[in-house]
Amino acid sequence: MKVVSLLAVVDADKCNGCKICESVCPVLAITRENRKAVVEDPRCSGCGACEQRCPTYAMTMVKRDQPFIVKADVGAVDYEQVKDVCRIARLNPEQLVCYCTATRAEEVAAAILQGADSPEEISHRTGVRTGCKVECIQPVLRLLEAAGVRPTRPKGWQWYGRTVTAWEIPPEIREKYASRGFYFDEDLKLLDAIAAAPLQGRRVE
Amino acid sequence: MMRAPITPLPPRKSQYGIDPALVKTRVSELPGMTSLLLKELFPSLPDVIFPGARGLEAVREATRNALQRVDMSRIKPEHSVNILASHHGFTLLGGEPYAEMLKTIRDVVEERTGCKNIRLRAGVGLRFRETEEYIKRYGLDVHFHGKALGIAPIDEGIPIETEIGTLYGIKRAYDADWIIHAHNSDVREVHFHRQVDRAVKPFGMSYARIETRSTYHQNLGPRAANFVARAIFDSPFVQGKFMFASFLTVAPNGIIGVDADSDLYALNERVTEIGCRHYGKMMTLFGEIDECIAALDFPAPAVYVFSAGVIYANFAGANTDLYDLDMPLPPYTWYTEAFYGKAGRPLLEGIPPLNPAIKMCVHNYAWTGYPCAFFTEHIPTVVVGQEQAELFNRDPQNLNYMKHAVLAETTEGAMEVAYKTAGTRNVIIFDGAMGGINLSEPLADLLLKKAPEVERRVEEVLLPKWLRQRGIDPSRRMALV
Repeated sequence: MKVVSLLAVVDADKCNGCKICESVCPVLAITRENRKAVVEDPRCSGCGACEQRCPTYAMTMVKRDQPFIVKADVGAVDYEQVKDVCRIARLNPEQLVCYCTATRAEEVAAAILQGADSPEEISHRTGVRTGCKVECIQPVLRLLEAAGVRPTRPKGWQWYGRTVTAWEIPPEIREKYASRGFYFDEDLKLLDAIAAAPLQGRRVE
Repeated sequence: MMRAPITPLPPRKSQYGIDPALVKTRVSELPGMTSLLLKELFPSLPDVIFPGARGLEAVREATRNALQRVDMSRIKPEHSVNILASHHGFTLLGGEPYAEMLKTIRDVVEERTGCKNIRLRAGVGLRFRETEEYIKRYGLDVHFHGKALGIAPIDEGIPIETEIGTLYGIKRAYDADWIIHAHNSDVREVHFHRQVDRAVKPFGMSYARIETRSTYHQNLGPRAANFVARAIFDSPFVQGKFMFASFLTVAPNGIIGVDADSDLYALNERVTEIGCRHYGKMMTLFGEIDECIAALDFPAPAVYVFSAGVIYANFAGANTDLYDLDMPLPPYTWYTEAFYGKAGRPLLEGIPPLNPAIKMCVHNYAWTGYPCAFFTEHIPTVVVGQEQAELFNRDPQNLNYMKHAVLAETTEGAMEVAYKTAGTRNVIIFDGAMGGINLSEPLADLLLKKAPEVERRVEEVLLPKWLRQRGIDPSRRMALV
């Protein structure tokens, strides 16, 4: 869940049409018209990725007159299905997957069950990946995979692919580096225990 | 007779912090504050070359001396070289020592090889323009003849095949024939890296794409995560480009030298010992503080403000032994934060709370650009100044920070609230004071009293255990420090 309070605004005089903003936008809110970037107002999540990477400083983040909330309604889907998706992804439904927006695995799972079929659509519906823009791509990809969804990569550099998880580290690697302080087996047990931990309740956040 | 406080690092102009002119008062200027030199606490800390009478010249000379030991013969005049740097180095002791090392590496490589196509690629954490600011501030764009570039984890990537599958680096970090890994030994995020492969970590962080960083923070677990950087560094792709590493070696009291090596793992062992021994003492001593007010007053995000070389995020875990790898989850890591359920408590029993000795936090001056709401949610926090609060409310990474904090108009007012509410006069100030620590007089007395026992405990009990956990035989400790 995220309160979207900012909007990216393009200074067309400064924009050189390089497409970097398009390539980094986590919700695909930017297109080009006449070789200038154009931001789709209601879709922009106010994350600032474009503003932070624009080489000509053509983007500015401004306060929205009317902030709005993006949130997937966990109560609108069968919670057993939510738990199933999270279980397959080896995540506890209540664990945070996005530290910036305090979005939990259950909300991402609910968004997927409600039809979000890509990281971009999940971000649009939940706000996940629109804070730091860095740390939460893997659990999003894991949850999509757990739900049987194979997202198509967008044209830009928003994401490249799912990577290894603790459960997939080959035994020979674990053994080879066992004395170097990586604690593969112990961490695996910890992650399994977290995934199986009892839920605390459906506090309104 | 107590010492006067050390002049803290000044506020720094940045898009991630408030205008320095708005920082009217530093916490160290308030009545009852004093300072300790770290050598007073731990006489065993090494001598430093910076800060010192010779200034940056000492860093330049140490870099040149260290580079004499590395072979650069494979770099040909027609080749290209990327010197890979990270934002973190620019937060150490004002940033000039790290910038000086980078400039000197460039000069020496050109002198020794005839190569002129030498670029600086400076990676960041979550503030994507941070190193752009440093490149201008320290004249690196001029020194590198315009070939200095800030790179960010959302920039175009490049797949890297590793022992554990495909991971992703930032394309422009690797767009040269050779790479030079220019970093530092300062421990900073012990809660994350646990002093395991610390010297290798930037290959999984500031030179890496979001997929890799997310693997570290979400996919592998709090200790196994450190394998990510090693997997990338050991890949044929990176090994085919790696020339050598050059590190500022750092102790809590300053820069102790420059270390360079073509063998990163040999350098890593030396860095591991420095980190465990010297920073381990400061952190263990901080664990002896039973109650205090923590004052944040440094140009970096709240988690990264420094006191005696220790960051606030680590002080928030000082109720545990962060170096003890048998402890799976420190009180603060992103794994720990993720594992708090909807009722606001950990999903598993045994996950330690944030340091209960921190009764209050006064956020006098710190930056945005890192998700810090976990701290205000769990530690009562007073933020100074409406402008600072507004900056946090605009930060996509901190939309919830002020939800849990209260606001004071002035530093004096914030401290009054903290004194009354916390019921303690112990104040520790995270303001980057060089060579020492600014704090209140009662806390200075406490630390002076506790330090000798901590020195003994670390040297005789903890350090041997910490080294063994990292595969280093304590009986063959290097004579480096």
